[in-house]
Amino acid sequence: MTLGDEVRRAVSALAEAPAQVSTGEARGTTSDLTIDEMLLLHSAGWEPVDLVYGISWWSIPWGAWQWTTGEVQEASNAFAGAVDQAATQLRESCQHAGGSGVLGVEVGVRVSSHHVSIELTGTAVRRIGGAAHRFEFISDLSARDFVLLTRTGWWPLGLAAGASFVIAPRRSAREWAAQQGQNVELPNLTQALYLARERAMERMQRAGVTMKADGIVAVKLREGRASSNVRVIQFVAIGTGVHLREGEHRSVSPEMVVPLDDLVRQFDVKSLRASGGE
Amino acid sequence: MASTAGEELPEAASRRLAESAWTSGLSVADFASCLDMGMRPVGYVQGYAIMQWSWFLSTGGFGTPTGGIGGMLGGGWTAGPQRRGQYLEQWQCPHGFVSAEHRMYGANYELTWLEESWATGWGLAMARMVDEARGLGATGIVGVLDSMRPFVGGMTVEFRASGTAVVVDGAPTPASPFSTYLSGQRLAKLIEAGFAPVSVAATLSAVRMLGYCITHYQLAGANVGTWYGPSAGGVAGVGPVDQVNRAEAAARRLARERVRAQLGADILHGATLERSEREIGEGDLSIQCTLKGTRVRRFKDFDPLPDAAPVVRLT
Amino acid sequence: MTDRAGTSGTALPDPLTTPPDQGHLPEGLPPDASRRLAELEDRPGHKGMFTSDLSVNEFLLIKEVGFHPLGFVMGSSIYHLGIQTRKWSQSQELSKLTEAMYEARQLAMDRMDAEATELGADGVVGVRLDVNYYEFGSDTAEFIAVGTAVKAEDGRSYRNRQGKPFTSDLSGQDFWVLMQTGHVPLGLVMGTCVYHIAHRGLGQALRATGRNVELPNFTQALYEARELAMTRMQDEATELGASGIVGVRLEEKSHMWGGHTIEFLSLGTAVVKSDGDFTIPQPKTIISLDG
Repeated sequence: MTLGDEVRRAVSALAEAPAQVSTGEARGTTSDLTIDEMLLLHSAGWEPVDLVYGISWWSIPWGAWQWTTGEVQEASNAFAGAVDQAATQLRESCQHAGGSGVLGVEVGVRVSSHHVSIELTGTAVRRIGGAAHRFEFISDLSARDFVLLTRTGWWPLGLAAGASFVIAPRRSAREWAAQQGQNVELPNLTQALYLARERAMERMQRAGVTMKADGIVAVKLREGRASSNVRVIQFVAIGTGVHLREGEHRSVSPEMVVPLDDLVRQFDVKSLRASGGE
Repeated sequence: MASTAGEELPEAASRRLAESAWTSGLSVADFASCLDMGMRPVGYVQGYAIMQWSWFLSTGGFGTPTGGIGGMLGGGWTAGPQRRGQYLEQWQCPHGFVSAEHRMYGANYELTWLEESWATGWGLAMARMVDEARGLGATGIVGVLDSMRPFVGGMTVEFRASGTAVVVDGAPTPASPFSTYLSGQRLAKLIEAGFAPVSVAATLSAVRMLGYCITHYQLAGANVGTWYGPSAGGVAGVGPVDQVNRAEAAARRLARERVRAQLGADILHGATLERSEREIGEGDLSIQCTLKGTRVRRFKDFDPLPDAAPVVRLT
Repeated sequence: MTDRAGTSGTALPDPLTTPPDQGHLPEGLPPDASRRLAELEDRPGHKGMFTSDLSVNEFLLIKEVGFHPLGFVMGSSIYHLGIQTRKWSQSQELSKLTEAMYEARQLAMDRMDAEATELGADGVVGVRLDVNYYEFGSDTAEFIAVGTAVKAEDGRSYRNRQGKPFTSDLSGQDFWVLMQTGHVPLGLVMGTCVYHIAHRGLGQALRATGRNVELPNFTQALYEARELAMTRMQDEATELGASGIVGVRLEEKSHMWGGHTIEFLSLGTAVVKSDGDFTIPQPKTIISLDG
């Protein structure tokens, strides 16, 4: 069947009775996967179930930002609490929908002077033809990465996240005057930011240890101003904890290829002149 | 969704569509793809609607706890216009005293006025676009773009929908042209995979969170426990803001339920869930979620693809 | 650094009462960093774990060439660049600034190396060098080096001539391809040159001409700056005993000095031919049938 035949067949199917009786299986599922991702998942024996989410706001007492310098412990605690709660909601949402894992999780982190909010949105998935027995994973890996990774024996477990928040230090006038004209490292500041990064990483690692991961892949370290009205720098480290099932890594053995085309669709110009398209 | 069957198209639109040269919003690649699929573009179609849009009106004006002087202190208060089955949750202050600064009551409720206004506006814009396509004898509309933006004068918004109407030669013309956000390769693969596009589907949910005392203090960053003493049911400085969390969850749940209700047994493909928030006052938020996608229906089974071979390109 | 009671972790010293610190950071890694790295290592009674900022593609390709990731490593340095740029009448290198930019990046990379060494790594791949300007002031910036430390699974040591783990800013894909050709990376090499382009001369020259003509003095100046940067990079490679440098790129940035002062930074990965025979596999040519 050519593509044109398929399209005609699709349209004919629509022209038939539009109102369909709801079968037990399809209950109006929602999926944010692209068609490529869906096809890839299918080829690995998985299917999308529903769009799921988890969201949590945690408050931070206003005093935390004012009185301390260096790391703001309350903000990192709030972050950890919010991630935990959002992840729990996401998991429950997935299990309720009948999925055994969540893929493609987008992590939204918003920090304001009085709260941290974590928003997780992803696609619940399950093995084709099997009921979900137990919950297996949450991951920010795309469907494509999931298929590739699981082929080699590595399976995602959960999201590992860690954050630290540092009040951006200012130098005193005296410090400034003394350092004018000098090319010199500023050890205090260096230490402060370096440690903040390390702590964010360490908290992420701890999350990995808790879920008994063999490793954390695709770590993204975001850093920058936490919000526009607070002089705070945030370091957020997020990755997916993974576990090597069967204890051995299976090789992918990729082939080297040299593509002989520029990646532009080639089509037959003659088809444009005919009014039908085929 | 509002239907405009029987209503005439604006005169300007009829003139444009009567001209013979068609326009299309498709990119060159998508255009070529359409032809490959046997879809012949026949015109660029659009629909508009301008709706009244007001936060003030949607929150019920002066009668509700936002600014009402008598609203906060004791007595009754209204949570805005009620509709049966609409989401509403209420909270009451656990502390033992009353003061002008202390919010005794709080609530999360749906902003039904806003939701209905959006649904009407979006629906009208879509319906008019579909009507234009029907007038051209189109089989469907691809590459739909929809948008909403403030219009001049403040409390109005303009809803707009546009797309490229196509005809599939050799196929029956459906009663209503199909519509989809997709075009080009993605649409082709969707159909090859066995899904037929039915229509675009979208919904907006809006939930207002009027904080009661504890929520208010949490969002203001106060450590309620120390202010009122441990016996006053205080909340530690770092902790979940329950009322807001419930409002967020409700907004998303409502959006998903509403879209599901439109789907029947079909699937929403390529869904996007967007969330935005508006701070109306201190401890007073409104949260909106839009959920959009293309409603698709299975028309055949398909064989799963064979395992893809991994390659490393040398470019 | 004193620990304030009630706060876990190290607080910054109060800048109003503490005199500015002129010294250097203590040798070795701060205890927090060591602790984080220790958590990654396999020890009796403690199962280790790896972390990596490689994408899934890169992770799998690293494994293909027989390396396993150990952990994400990083180093940073907040550096004050003190020389005020003035309107020099001559185009010239501002060697003090060159030294400063080099030293700042070197400090960051050394610390990243120290973390990798502590993990027992053979090398660091996917190294990224970044410069961040926060609110420290117009003449202070943070230089960061991050990457993923890796170890060879066959037990061979890949450490370079200086006994340090190799560093490379090659992506996972490029690393895989490099190893297929029978070469191994030795280290990330860099050369930098901060060059100032004269104000007065330029203005005069532009007013005097009106024709499409080359400004030879300035062409000369930029050539010199780039050559200096690249020569310094090559010198580093020679020191490592490299047979070549791959993935060379030249970056030009004004940072916060205004348009007349530019840093030319030349970066690449020094490589050497590995022992043993290698037949480079013939790549397959393909024509993809989709866009």
